[in-house]
Amino acid sequence: MDLSRRGFLQAAALTAAASGLTVACGGSSGSGGTKNGKNLTMWYWGGALSDKVVAEAKTHFSGQIKLTSSSIGGDFKQKLTTTLAAGGDSVPDITGIKGEDIASFLPNADRFLDLNDLGFKKISSQYLEWKTKLAQTKDGKQIGFPIDIGPTALFYRADLFDKAGLPTDPAKVAAVAKTWDDYFALGSELKKAQPGVFLVNNISSVFNIAVGQGTKRFIDEDNHFIGDQDHIRAAWDTAIRPYTLGIDAKINDQTWNAAIGKNLATELGAAWHALDIESAAPGTKGNWRVCASPDGPANQGGSYLALPSQCRNPEEAFKIISWILSPDNNAKSYTDATIFPASPATYEMEAMTGGDEFFGGQKIIEVFGPAAEAIPISYEAPADSAVMAPFMAELSSIEAKGKKPDDAWNDAVSQAKQIARRQGVN
Amino acid sequence: MSSPPVTGPATVHEHRGGPGPARFRPRRIPPAGAARPRRRGVLSYWRQYLAISPFYLIFAAFCFVPVFYSLYLSFQRYDGLGAKQFVGLQQYEFLWNDPVFWLSIRNTLLIWVLSTVPTLFGALVLATLLHSVRRFKGFYRIALYVPNVTSIVAVAIFFGAVFSNNFGLVNAILGTVGIEPVPWLSNPWLIKVVIALLMTWMWTGYNMIIYLAGLQAIPQSIYEAAKMDGAGPVRTFFQITMPIMRPIILFTVVISTINGLQSFSEPQVLFASNAANQNQGGPGQAGLTTLLYFYQSAFLDNDYGYGAAIVWAFFVLIIVLVVINWRIVQRGRKS
Amino acid sequence: MTTAATTRPATGARRLRRPKGLSAHILLMLAVLISVFPFVWTIVMATNTTKDIYKSPPKLTFGSHLLENIRNVLNTIDFFGSMLNTVVVACVTTVLVLFVDSLAAFAFAKFDFPGRKVLFGTLLVFMMLPLQLAVLPQFILMSEIGWVGMLKALVWPALSNAFGIFWLRQYIENGVPDELLDAARIDGAGFFRQYWNIALPMMKPALSFLAIYAFVNAWNDYVWPLIVLTNPDHVTLQVELAQLNLGHNTDYSMVMAGVLMAAIPLVVVFSIFARGFIAGATEGAVQGS
Repeated sequence: MDLSRRGFLQAAALTAAASGLTVACGGSSGSGGTKNGKNLTMWYWGGALSDKVVAEAKTHFSGQIKLTSSSIGGDFKQKLTTTLAAGGDSVPDITGIKGEDIASFLPNADRFLDLNDLGFKKISSQYLEWKTKLAQTKDGKQIGFPIDIGPTALFYRADLFDKAGLPTDPAKVAAVAKTWDDYFALGSELKKAQPGVFLVNNISSVFNIAVGQGTKRFIDEDNHFIGDQDHIRAAWDTAIRPYTLGIDAKINDQTWNAAIGKNLATELGAAWHALDIESAAPGTKGNWRVCASPDGPANQGGSYLALPSQCRNPEEAFKIISWILSPDNNAKSYTDATIFPASPATYEMEAMTGGDEFFGGQKIIEVFGPAAEAIPISYEAPADSAVMAPFMAELSSIEAKGKKPDDAWNDAVSQAKQIARRQGVN
Repeated sequence: MSSPPVTGPATVHEHRGGPGPARFRPRRIPPAGAARPRRRGVLSYWRQYLAISPFYLIFAAFCFVPVFYSLYLSFQRYDGLGAKQFVGLQQYEFLWNDPVFWLSIRNTLLIWVLSTVPTLFGALVLATLLHSVRRFKGFYRIALYVPNVTSIVAVAIFFGAVFSNNFGLVNAILGTVGIEPVPWLSNPWLIKVVIALLMTWMWTGYNMIIYLAGLQAIPQSIYEAAKMDGAGPVRTFFQITMPIMRPIILFTVVISTINGLQSFSEPQVLFASNAANQNQGGPGQAGLTTLLYFYQSAFLDNDYGYGAAIVWAFFVLIIVLVVINWRIVQRGRKS
Repeated sequence: MTTAATTRPATGARRLRRPKGLSAHILLMLAVLISVFPFVWTIVMATNTTKDIYKSPPKLTFGSHLLENIRNVLNTIDFFGSMLNTVVVACVTTVLVLFVDSLAAFAFAKFDFPGRKVLFGTLLVFMMLPLQLAVLPQFILMSEIGWVGMLKALVWPALSNAFGIFWLRQYIENGVPDELLDAARIDGAGFFRQYWNIALPMMKPALSFLAIYAFVNAWNDYVWPLIVLTNPDHVTLQVELAQLNLGHNTDYSMVMAGVLMAAIPLVVVFSIFARGFIAGATEGAVQGS
């Protein structure tokens, strides 16, 4: 080991000097070519679309188009961003975009085609307005075609409710859990009757839903930070309550999988969360019920399909996605892969109106359908999820370290402000 | 591969053998030719340059250029897709005032210390033991190296399940002896301990193999001579093995510093199942390492400029640490 | 450090070896248990159902669902196709790394030439930069030269890892005696002959370690292949495996079966090279004395 510190510094100096040479690098934005290609590629991630419906689409359009689909694992957004940044042939013609990522793609709407130009305007009334709006730029450009949504509801264990002498019928539970306060009161009663039983899995999830129930989030439409205002503070205080009442299970890791069948009496979650519960706790089949969530529904997740501007055949590509996501095919997707559609017409169809055995035969669409339509239209800024992150982190700090809620709030707000500034929010 | 003709000026190269069993002595003096009075033209070294050129060409194209492009990015605001906007040193200014960045540095250093010290110590002990036995050498070697071969995803799932607060194996075992459940994955200190344990488990066998290679290069004759002088195993270890091994130990310290400070997958996979706080490094961000923070900033928040600034600032920090390390070990060698 | 037995007077040297060896074996076995346990547990998970994994306390015995889990893996992903890609990439990468790195390391270890320190120092400096930093620029570069979606886009960047040079140089300095090279030089051997005939054979133990290291890295690499391999027919095993692990509703026993299936070839390759490692070490000792 004879490398001296001088050699080291020399090397560092050399590397620094070379930096000037590389600045000239830049990205390319190659599109060009004809716009009536016959081979189209489609990217999505496992579970985003029904594989069955995609396979049917391939046969349905095989006369005009050869559709190749690939299901992509891992961090989908990172892969899509890098590919779009580099441009060229590797960009897919059709791509999925996750609901939580759509806002961050809006500032780069020019990377995508305006679906309204291709005919989305005519059929947009078939899809939920609040969902469509989230994939729209301020000047009305539509970059995302809604695949599915995640209306939230209150999942609860009827057997545990029964033991605590609480009502078990969904309509009655909805009535006694009408507001957050009512809901937390149930938790205290459950705890009194059965020590060790918790009402919520963690308080971040409560915060997430409470924020989603409003029309304002962390940044307003004029690009101002409003995460320190009353509406967020109210959601925060709501989230803190189960913690102070001792009805918070404080689960912030994968032990949720083990806890769900045991001592969690309720779950606040989106429609797709039913499948999580079902696969983690198959032994509790028949004991669960669903009712409207306290203080109204919110949305969690739900994705879009988009056409990158390099798309080799925009007309046909749009035909394909509007076929895959038609209300009829959405019904098939629901049956095949429990993808909760963004088209209300589908809620009336047989595929969705049946009873669910896991929920004791309850017709859960009667809860999720109205919830889906009642979700408020809110504005989600591109930096929204980045600005929200410190609030979630601080809430988990309260649970993990017993940090004082007020200190946590102050830290969360100051961090969120910094992130907002970095992201160019005033 | 064809070897070139054996004639030519380079054959005049001479090496300083030095007295005694020089070949096993760590080289401290510059090798061949450095002390030669006559300077020769750069071109006469074409064979050496040719030998290193394949690597350096690849290196320049696929590492050097991209890395410096990212330095350029650290002076921009860039969301990965839109236009880049020059912001000067603003990203670094943000960094300086960002408590999460400093928290991530603290986390990284703590996890690094908690993992590197037991890893290297354990590896040295195991290598010495393994070198001393005659039977089952191959078996031990494979069995002890296996952790380094397994996929990080499987390992993280395993550690997550075993140390789970409510339902984990460790707490179940502690429960049978009447110990209260320990919040392994929510207490800020224990989170670091679990991550460090994971890294120790993965890297001890790897370092052991490196030490073993060093031990095997020590000729048996030296040990026999020591034995004749009546030196016991402990004395032999400290007076013969350790000095010969010093460069290799230094090597592993440097490599572990580099690897240990770049911990990223471990906390990421360990806490990835927590959907609400994905990539935040677990409760209280106690497992948020600097690289995980970089990943979150660049790829999740689409702030590539800030992400690049995080890594470059961190890089400067690593260099400082390595230089300090170096000095300490160098001083130890002189005394 | 070792045991009490070692402090006994050195008279009965032969008798002394036995208890010392025994305690060494006991300690080593303990370490083996710790290091192998998670591996065994992976097998346990792969042979059980996901339900069993989340029991409290978790099930620790082998189950009978291995075939079912393997079938699920094979039905969900193109396991063998992606494995073939991985084998190709890992083998080509390993061979090239061994050649390129050993050549450069030999030059660095045994010769002085202008710029040597600076060039070597540059490597060390760059090793400290996390490679994730370069992902975006690297992808743009790949796209410019039209390699996106091709397996060679995995091989070449992997060769720019400086660890091999650092490691081999370290080994050559001490493990390849100057006298041997001097003798060869007197016999008229030039640089490349010294490398090929003397240094390379003597580096074997270090090379087999580097081979394992390079192979494992290429095999387990995940983020870069995920990004750069856009063609669904050309993905590697780790990228396919990630398909199994989707976050929601993950079937862990299936994931573990996939992890296990992906790890077995690694262990096989490792065992082969480990044997070479032992042989190489003995050879070196014989030559050295």
